[in-house]
Amino acid sequence: MSLLLQSLVLGVLLGGLYALLAAGLTLYFGVMRVVMIAHSAFLILAAYLAWFFTSSTGLDPLLSLLVTVPLFFVLGVAMQRLLISRLRPATLTMMSVLLTFSIALVIEGMLGFVFSGTQRRIRLPYGGQSLEFFGANVAVVKLIAFGLAATSLLALYLLLKKTQFGQALRATIQHPEAARLVGINTERVAGYGFGLGLATAAIGGTALSLDSTIYPSLHWHWIGPLMAIIVVGGLGSIPGAAIAALVLGLGQSLLQIPLGTTWAQTFFYLALFATLMVRPQGFFGGRLAQRF
Amino acid sequence: MKLRSTTPVRLTALASAAILTLTGCMSSGADGTEGSDDDTITIGISLPLTGDFSEPGKGVQRGYEAWADHVNENGGLLGKQVELEILDDQSSADRVAADYEKLINQDGVDLVFGPFSTRLVVPAAQVAQDYGFLFVEPAGAAEEVFTQGFDNLFYAAPAVADDHYDYLADHIEAMPEAERPKTAAFAAMDDPFAMGTAYGLKTRLEEMGVEVVVDEVYPPNTTDFGSIAAKVADSNADMVVGGTQYQDAVNLIVALQQLDYQPKMAAFSTAPTNPEFPEAIGDKTEGILSPTGYTPAAPYESNKEFVDFYTEKNGTPPAEDEANAWTTGQVVAAAVEAVGCADPDPECQQQLVDWLRDNEVDTVVGPLTWDAEGRPQGAHLIQQYVDGEIRIVLPEESAEADFIADKPAW
Repeated sequence: MSLLLQSLVLGVLLGGLYALLAAGLTLYFGVMRVVMIAHSAFLILAAYLAWFFTSSTGLDPLLSLLVTVPLFFVLGVAMQRLLISRLRPATLTMMSVLLTFSIALVIEGMLGFVFSGTQRRIRLPYGGQSLEFFGANVAVVKLIAFGLAATSLLALYLLLKKTQFGQALRATIQHPEAARLVGINTERVAGYGFGLGLATAAIGGTALSLDSTIYPSLHWHWIGPLMAIIVVGGLGSIPGAAIAALVLGLGQSLLQIPLGTTWAQTFFYLALFATLMVRPQGFFGGRLAQRF
Repeated sequence: MKLRSTTPVRLTALASAAILTLTGCMSSGADGTEGSDDDTITIGISLPLTGDFSEPGKGVQRGYEAWADHVNENGGLLGKQVELEILDDQSSADRVAADYEKLINQDGVDLVFGPFSTRLVVPAAQVAQDYGFLFVEPAGAAEEVFTQGFDNLFYAAPAVADDHYDYLADHIEAMPEAERPKTAAFAAMDDPFAMGTAYGLKTRLEEMGVEVVVDEVYPPNTTDFGSIAAKVADSNADMVVGGTQYQDAVNLIVALQQLDYQPKMAAFSTAPTNPEFPEAIGDKTEGILSPTGYTPAAPYESNKEFVDFYTEKNGTPPAEDEANAWTTGQVVAAAVEAVGCADPDPECQQQLVDWLRDNEVDTVVGPLTWDAEGRPQGAHLIQQYVDGEIRIVLPEESAEADFIADKPAW
């Protein structure tokens, strides 16, 4: 019984982290049909910046967000305006895979060059601590990561639903030409949308760095599961990504008990396969145009 | 018409050029051999100096170079100076085979030393075998190295993966039955080396009647260790054993600590001996066990000389890769000195192989002997964090600190 409860708790926490890490990925696709292979490389870059910040100043890694979130936002806008917007619309999705793949390689190589291939971990005074919850242990760092995920996803959702920028962004997603006709500068909105996605990578990477060992090539281990999450959730849907992440995280954690790690990981790909067969547009939200 | 008549001429010219080049190479090879017979012994090596294994590859290179310098400063081998010819195989298995082919065939080296990593050792050993060369290698602990039918291969380290925990198993076996762990949990990466270490110990513990309550194997790309840790914690096993590389061991240990699981004994391969480990885990390392193939503090006779010489040359004490390279040099040198020859002639190489089959060699990792497939017949030292420092605790004759049987809480 306690193992089941413990696995449930771990699954929810893991799902929350997955949701945060996948949020940016679904946003890029929703706004621009861009398949952003480099998203997980930016996660690892943010994790390295958090580690570097903590190891050189001794301050809490969460404080690095004050620098990395605006930095990544600007980087995202620049990347969209300088690189992505130059791709031809007809081949955008495919070419974006190649372009962002090369960006991922550049980030990985740069991390290896600057910080070497040595595996790093942020040593936190509360790294091994946990709270007891009906007999299950909840690690403090995992709880912080979950809190970060919940806060940023909620903020993202409110931003998209309640602000004028959010309306413009959603209009751009639904019908770019109509949006232009009513006076929305869709180019600029798309740039901000991309920046927003990369800003979530800054938060996600920092959350990741609290509880895992990082190394330059780690991002290849993440991109597959994250892609699976956003396809199952429905490309472009933030609530869809969040729900899919929770379901898959919980599923992985619970299947671990009877099946072991290897098969529990396969669950992601089985879910992806089943989704593509049964409901290729994903399980949440309707047509791509009406997401959020 | 004109073209037709020139084509055969061209072909003939090409063929003769090719033949000339080939014979040129061969004769230069033969010349090289004769030349080296006079005053130098040339040793051919291919190493992964770039690519995936470049970090350990460079460590092995430092070890080989230090060994050669040491030999040359002390009168050489059979009175001749040793010269290393090192090629870069870019961590590629195709490249490494071509490199040894070139070293033996074209460059006419007198001896060869092995490369780094199981993946490169196997193709390299095949080439050496084809030419009848002795092949001593510093890195190939996985079982697949020894099941390819090589009869010229020797692994220059204390033990293959399966035997890494032997001293720990012996120690547990010697404990009074009431004090032995009753249950054990195993978690191992799906990797021949990492799994080999854990399952070697698992077999021994099962023979002693220890019950295995968790037996998890996870893929190398596992990012979340919470669920594995939950299983181990739920079993509340007396002992936890990790067949691990670096990052998975660290993540698993932290995940176990987060679940407040307190084993009486905890053993993980690879990671705890890494200098980064205490930095990552903090002050919660006390009592963690790990097998190691080498420590600069090991009491073997030649080790102090090695550590002093290496430290003076490079400014830092040697690590395991450097030590394994040095050991390779020691093993080959022992055979060469005993047999009294070092040339590419198959008869001489066979004598070297035969001598190593029947004799024990004293090295910086202890005395080594091998079975017919080249497996070293030893065990790894067992280290443990005692008062915040990693120290040898087993076997007792090498121990720097007392074995902590009841691990303090982490």
